Amino acid sequence: MNFLSLLGVEYKKIKRSKIFLILFTAAFILWIPSVINSALNFNMQAEGISPENNFFIQGFMAMSWFMFPACMVVVTALLNQTERTNNGIIKMLSLPASRFKLNIAKFVVMLSLAAVQILIMAAVYYASAAIASIMQDYNFILPPLFVVKETIFIFLSVIPMSAFFWMCSVCIQSPVFSVGIGLASIVPSVLLINTEAWFAYPMSYPFFVVTSEYGRLAVNLETAQIELMPWIPVAVLITIICLGISCLCFGRAVSK
Amino acid sequence: MSAWLEYKKVKRTGFIPLFLIGGILSAAVPVTNMVFRAEMYIGMSGTPVQILLGANWQLMAMFNVLVIVTGTCLLYHIEYDNNSIQKLKSLPIHEGQVFLGKAVLVVMMYLVALVTEAAAVIFCSIHWFVTGDGFWTELCQNFVYMFIIGLPCIALSLMVSEACKNMWISLGIGVICVFMASILPEEPFFLSLFPFSMPFKILAGTEHAVIYIYASAAWIAVTSLAELVFIKIRRSLE
Repeated sequence: MNFLSLLGVEYKKIKRSKIFLILFTAAFILWIPSVINSALNFNMQAEGISPENNFFIQGFMAMSWFMFPACMVVVTALLNQTERTNNGIIKMLSLPASRFKLNIAKFVVMLSLAAVQILIMAAVYYASAAIASIMQDYNFILPPLFVVKETIFIFLSVIPMSAFFWMCSVCIQSPVFSVGIGLASIVPSVLLINTEAWFAYPMSYPFFVVTSEYGRLAVNLETAQIELMPWIPVAVLITIICLGISCLCFGRAVSK
Repeated sequence: MSAWLEYKKVKRTGFIPLFLIGGILSAAVPVTNMVFRAEMYIGMSGTPVQILLGANWQLMAMFNVLVIVTGTCLLYHIEYDNNSIQKLKSLPIHEGQVFLGKAVLVVMMYLVALVTEAAAVIFCSIHWFVTGDGFWTELCQNFVYMFIIGLPCIALSLMVSEACKNMWISLGIGVICVFMASILPEEPFFLSLFPFSMPFKILAGTEHAVIYIYASAAWIAVTSLAELVFIKIRRSLE
């Protein structure tokens, strides 16, 4: 089986999983308080950020610190548990398909769900910015180019973290541990982005990207800025190592 | 009896270590904070318990709530996995009793996590602060209060996990609820009575402690009733 047909099979499996409903609800709930409290965006003179930028950045900050990583953990539970129930994974492993490709296909599905999540997020952002604009009689809508650039950047920063979560869910058989480790690893990211070693901790990347953007947009606020060295090599290395380990572990426990 | 059986079921699933590790991680928060930033807190006004919980409880409670959500998901996941729930339903026991057994188990483990956290607070208070006369009473009051206001979260997330056949859906709902708790504003007041926000509250500096305790009792009563109705409806539909 070639990679594309494996990918097609993986998409079919999650068709009725209701995962899109969860991803949508998460993005939808996120923006409700922002719209209700949209008047507060005008009180940010001390930071020197414009109301429309503040509206955008606060929403994306809330998403990138907890919601987005936690949704990725839920996605790993989905991708693994659908097959472990009723031992579907045994049938998959008996097919003439390479385990390596199967594992990567699942990871690609995970990344595409991450992309879907962030697209929904951007779409709901525009809807809520439009509502807030009408409510406050002020234009909260930012140019699409800026929003698209930010979403792509956040998406890229999520890849190493997704690889780590994927490795946990493949290598650890007990779902409670893989999910528990995933969720627990999100919590310290809020502390780690303030340290020098943030680049060694993939769970803090999306939050760091958004906070550094916040510092750039707010004139009077100093936040750590992104430095591509040594971040990019470390991130690539972490992704490769995590994916490599997951490829080695994939299906091993079942075939024993 | 039922809780003991539930304990036996979860023996090899990692449920018990999950709560133990969660408790230890959460307990590590105040200790780490004091090791690195002791000078920030030592000069602050207030009792040691107030200072420590005020500075660290948000993160500590986050660990607690995430552990509760994951643990409760697992408790029903092991029943739905391989359809053992069907055998469970054919037994001459009420399904509500099974729910109660599982709830008691989670509550016990939550208590273990809280005790671990209390130990960390005691250690930090003795090591870095001067503890006064009322220290032990204050500590006990705080942790009993946190225990009580954490119960609705356990009841609700256990109910969600019973209602959803697939683990990722109950986990997804749990994660969304935790997230909602973190973004809900303090005003209007009734929003802070959301079961998933309550475990983040501390006793010090609140005028609404009694309301939270009543709200906790009310939530438990409502969830129990909803659980009984839910079982009846599901049985009649099957």
